[in-house]
Amino acid sequence: MTDKGKSPALPSDDLQALVEQFNASHWRTLELEFHGSRLFLSKDAGTSPAWVGAAAATTVSSLPAARQLPAQTAAVPLPGAPVSGPIVAEGHVIVNAPSLGTFYRSPKPGAAAFTQIGEAVDADTELCLIEVMKLFTTLRAGVKGKVVKILVEDGVMVEYDQPLFVIDPNG
Amino acid sequence: MADLSPNQPRLFVANRGEIALRVIRAAHALGIETVLGVSAADRDSPAAREAGRAVVLGPAPSRDSYLNMDLVVHAAVATGCTLLHPGYGFLSERPDFAELCAAEGLTFIGPRAETVRAVGDKISAKAVADAAKVPLTPGSGKLLSVEHALEVAQGIGYPVITKASAGGGGRGMIVARDADELRRAFDQASTTAREAFGDDTLYLEAYVERARHLEVQLFGDGEGRVSHFGERDCSIQRRYQKMIEEAPASILTDDLRAGLRAAAVDLLASINYRNAGTVEFLYDEVRQKFYFMEVNARIQVEHPVSEQISSHDLIKLQLGLALGTATLPRQDDIALAGHAIEARILAEDPDRNFMPCPGRITRWVPATGPGVRVDSAVQEGSVVPPFYDSMVAKLIVTGADRAQAVARLSDALRRFKVEGIATNIPLLQAIVDHPDYRANAVSTKWLEDTLLPAFQTERSE
Repeated sequence: MTDKGKSPALPSDDLQALVEQFNASHWRTLELEFHGSRLFLSKDAGTSPAWVGAAAATTVSSLPAARQLPAQTAAVPLPGAPVSGPIVAEGHVIVNAPSLGTFYRSPKPGAAAFTQIGEAVDADTELCLIEVMKLFTTLRAGVKGKVVKILVEDGVMVEYDQPLFVIDPNG
Repeated sequence: MADLSPNQPRLFVANRGEIALRVIRAAHALGIETVLGVSAADRDSPAAREAGRAVVLGPAPSRDSYLNMDLVVHAAVATGCTLLHPGYGFLSERPDFAELCAAEGLTFIGPRAETVRAVGDKISAKAVADAAKVPLTPGSGKLLSVEHALEVAQGIGYPVITKASAGGGGRGMIVARDADELRRAFDQASTTAREAFGDDTLYLEAYVERARHLEVQLFGDGEGRVSHFGERDCSIQRRYQKMIEEAPASILTDDLRAGLRAAAVDLLASINYRNAGTVEFLYDEVRQKFYFMEVNARIQVEHPVSEQISSHDLIKLQLGLALGTATLPRQDDIALAGHAIEARILAEDPDRNFMPCPGRITRWVPATGPGVRVDSAVQEGSVVPPFYDSMVAKLIVTGADRAQAVARLSDALRRFKVEGIATNIPLLQAIVDHPDYRANAVSTKWLEDTLLPAFQTERSE
C-alpha cells in the first residue's frame, strides 16, 4: 500500500479509515500532506488537486479511462477481489477497468506486451485489452506519462473499476 | 477462493436485493458455492457480503451491469460457475440469455429457452393456453388497424381493454367503454407500446369490471410432469404492481379451485415445462369464471406465501431440480395447509404520490413473532440505491386461517420500524385494517379506486 522509495507514507489501515471517513462525510474533496506524501480524494469526477499541472488535469478530466485517485477506488477493497490498493502520491494516475472482463497485456497470445513498467505512454497509447465474451476492448492510457505499476496478471478476470495501471504524468 | 474439485457445483447469482440473498442462503444450505455479480452500487450490499464471492460487473445503471448478458455470462464462466440463477426481473425471462448460458456450458435455472420464448410473447402464450384448452378472455389476435379494433370490439361487447403484444407492467393497457374511447385508446396505446417495447402491436380483450388476480405456483420436471403448490390471490395492486399477495385464494369454491389448478397444470404439462413457473389468471367475480392471462417463466416475488402453506422451500427445489439431486414432488406429497400473506415493503412515499425514496436506512427493526417471516436484503445503515426497484423487504405472515393471518399481519406492520427512508408501511396498515380487506371483498381496482382516495384524504387532514 505504501509508495516504495519514499519517506514514511501513511499506513494502509490509516488510509483506509481516512477514505471511509471521507466517503461518509459531506466533503467533496480532501487534500492531505504527510511526510512528503500527498493524498487527494474527490467525489467529483475530473477534479484535480492544486499540485497537478493544469495541462495534465485537463487531459485527465477529458478521458474517463484515467481518473485522479477516485475516492471510491483508492483504498476500499472490492469484495473478494485481490486488490493491492494502490495508494499513489505525487499525482500518479490510476487507470481502472472500464468493465468486468479478462485482462490481456498483449494483442494476441505470444505477442509482445502493449507496455512495460518504465515505458513512456501518451494519452492514446494502448495499455491492454479487456475481453468480454470474445469482444475485445482496447484500454488507452488517457494521460501522458510513464508506467510505474502494473497491478494485474495477464489473463485474469478483472472487475469493473479495478485499478490496472499506475502512471506517473511527470515521469 | 479455494480450488474446488471440478465436480463441485458453483452457482452464479445474476440478481440483487432480497432474491439474491434468498438464493445465496438456499445454495449454501445445500453445500453449493456461490458467486454474486453486482453493480458498483451494490458492492457493499448484504448479499455481496454473504455470497462466497462477489464480482463487480459494471457501474450502477442496470443496462451496464445486471442487464448486460455478456458481462454476466463472462463473469459466471470466469469464476468457474456451473449453474446460474437469474432470480426475477432483469435477465430472468430473456430467451436469448438462457441460450447464451447453455452455449457457454452454464445450467440456466429455469425453463428451456424455447419455453421462455413460447410463453414470453403474450399472443403466442395465448395460443399455447388455447391448445391446452385453458379458458381465455374473449379477445382478438393482433390488431391490424383502428377499424379492425372497432370491428373486434363490436363482436366482444364493451368495455374492452387494449394490450401490448410485447409488453407488461400495465403499459399500453387502456379501457374503452365505447367506439369513441376505443379510437383514442388505440392511438395512445400504440404510441406507448412503441416507446416502451419497440413494438406497437396491440390486441384487444373484454374488460372485466370486478376482477381478481389469481395465479397458480407450479413446477415441472421438463418431461411433462407438473405439480402445483396451490394458488395465490394477488388482487391488491396499484398500477398493475402487486402490493399484497396471499395463499390460498379464499374466494374460490372447491370446484373452482380444483378447476383453476388443473388448468394451470395442463397448460405447463402441454409444453413439458421445466423448473418453477406461474400461470396467472383473471377471475371474474360476477360471472365466476377464470381466464388465462400469462405465464411467468421464473420464480416470482411472492413465492414465499406458497412456501408457507406447502412447507416446501421452492428455491432449494429449483436448485435441486437443476442439479438433478432432487425430484419433483408428486402432487400427493404436497400438502397445503394454513393461510399466508405477503406485504411488499417499498421505499416509496404514499403521501407524496409514491415517490421513490432512496437513501440511508437509519433504523431498521423488522417485525418478529409467531408466524412472521421477513425476506429482505437491507439492515440498519444500508443505503437504498436510486437505480433499481424500490422493494426493500417482504413481510410474510402465516396463520391457521385467513383471519389469523390478517391479524398477525396487522400486528407485524405496527411493529415494523423503518427510519431514514419513507416506506409504504402506513398504507399497508390502512389496507390490512380496512373492513373490505378483512371481509376479502376487494378487486384489482380496489386499492386505487376505494382505499387510496380515502387514505389520501385522511392523511392530508
